Amino acid sequence: VSGVAVRAVGVVTGSGRGVARERMRRATRECLLAVDAVDALLDDGGLTRADVEGAETALVYVTATAYVASNRAFIEGGGGALHFPYTAPSAVPAEVAIELGLHGPYTVLIGGAATTIDAIAHAATLLHRGACARALVVAVETFEASADVLRRGALVGGDVPVDTAAAVLLERGGASGGDVARVAAAGRDAFACAPLVALARERGRGGRMIELTGCWRGRAATTIVACGKEG
Amino acid sequence: VAAGVVTPIGGDLESFWSGLLTGVDGISTIERFRVDDLKVGRGGEIKKLPERTADVTCRATRLLATAADDLLARAPLDADPARVAVIVGTALGGVEELDLALADPHDARHAAAALYDAPAHALAARLGVRGPVLTVSTACASGATALGLGADLLRAGTVDRVIAGGYDVLCRFVMRGFDALRSLTRERVRPFDRRRTGLLLGEAAALVMMARDGEGPAGLGRLLGHASAGDGVHISAPDPGGRGLGLAIRQAIAEAGLGPGAIDLVSAHGTATPLNDRVESLVLRETLGGRAAAIPVHAIKGGLGHTMGAAATLEAIACLLAARHAVIPHTLGFEEPDPECGLDVVAGAPRPAAVRVSLSTSLGFGGCNAALVLEGERA
Repeated sequence: VSGVAVRAVGVVTGSGRGVARERMRRATRECLLAVDAVDALLDDGGLTRADVEGAETALVYVTATAYVASNRAFIEGGGGALHFPYTAPSAVPAEVAIELGLHGPYTVLIGGAATTIDAIAHAATLLHRGACARALVVAVETFEASADVLRRGALVGGDVPVDTAAAVLLERGGASGGDVARVAAAGRDAFACAPLVALARERGRGGRMIELTGCWRGRAATTIVACGKEG
Repeated sequence: VAAGVVTPIGGDLESFWSGLLTGVDGISTIERFRVDDLKVGRGGEIKKLPERTADVTCRATRLLATAADDLLARAPLDADPARVAVIVGTALGGVEELDLALADPHDARHAAAALYDAPAHALAARLGVRGPVLTVSTACASGATALGLGADLLRAGTVDRVIAGGYDVLCRFVMRGFDALRSLTRERVRPFDRRRTGLLLGEAAALVMMARDGEGPAGLGRLLGHASAGDGVHISAPDPGGRGLGLAIRQAIAEAGLGPGAIDLVSAHGTATPLNDRVESLVLRETLGGRAAAIPVHAIKGGLGHTMGAAATLEAIACLLAARHAVIPHTLGFEEPDPECGLDVVAGAPRPAAVRVSLSTSLGFGGCNAALVLEGERA
């Protein structure tokens, strides 16, 4: 049991909601989706950027694939000084941190659905030891531009998942007791986004205690989060 | 903590340490891939890997396997495999495999290894462990973040042993990137030197075996505190004011239950780019206060190149070895102090010193900062 409560969630798919900022004119599609998902999260929680900015918000980012397209473009396109920094997986949370003005604990994990459960557990650890007041867990997966390579490597099947970004804002505390809704997020659904998408869906159905299970590369991980702090 | 490494200056822990003390220069002309179209074609390339890991075709995984062999030769893995985690940091993961996969449209083997977490899972399979397998990619701070996550898992009781560390391969992809950024120097790498002009890249793997106090094999020392913090300022350059690095240092020292006065040694990130070393010096002076100019500082990238995901783990290991042997390696390439840095950089020859508590700092692309506070014991 993670001992953390969900404050807000945000999910975007496909083209997202369309971030248009001059500052991000060079950013990759993955960066734009991430910022989009966080915007959706702020809307969901009735929050403003001022509510999360500063050193009291941890940022934990997870992805299995959201750098393959930019790596490929760099390899095939001859490379360039402006493009290269965006080949790093850390470019995506960097744009989120710049956008929101985040200076708190900062972690980037690579992997699928089980890794997102690990990311939630890590966020819970940071919250419980007082390293932050809230933790933003963000996942992004993009498949479209690298589907042929992912298929060849048997990392996706015939139906390529839709590009997705998801975010959850966690706080200490949370309801305890009551029914637990169990949600399994299969790895191939949307890789690292799968548990957060499942969480958003179950929360939308009114679930108060949600058990999330994620699988990736033959490994399963499980955590329980609460929706709402009263209880 | 026990350790194992493979580096451009030595293929195991002993030769790495003696290489640091004797000032071995691991920088050479790169031979493994073409560099003739690049402005700079030198780096810390490992010329020979042991035959016992020749069965591993992915070079990144092979570096990890080689470091793991070195580690397990001195600290056998004596825990339930289901209670052992593998946590490794990397800036590049299996990108060289992606490069190979793109070169052959029918290839499946390299495509399957193209995701950045493939080498960590391959290492876990090779070691036969079944606990959590995590890949950290906080760019060049990855090797520090991995150790911090390992400590968290042990503290939470999730696992009984953690194989943690970092790795990265010197490959054409990253050489082209840094070449395009004009970050690579044509001169020698000179951390904190007045004449520094940039960095060179290197490759390495470094792993430690972590356990809770009193439970593991006799080791090199302890991780007392760790912290990370984001800059939230720029996609590739460090915050000129160093706010994220400063937060990470202060929190790591606080988590260790110590004050700045307890720090005996700083192992600096020290890339030798003009901006990095200036920012890092500024932050060290701010966070360590009046003693900052009196605390010995060393940086190991002059002889190895910047080994990216492996760098912070290598630097943490160097701190513990400095405590064990009561001597601080000198900073290869440092000759003329930069008055703007104002640090006591160990120069010219190793310096005998009683070291107990060390601070190791790391910065990476994307505004990733991490700090470790380590405690070593004299042998």
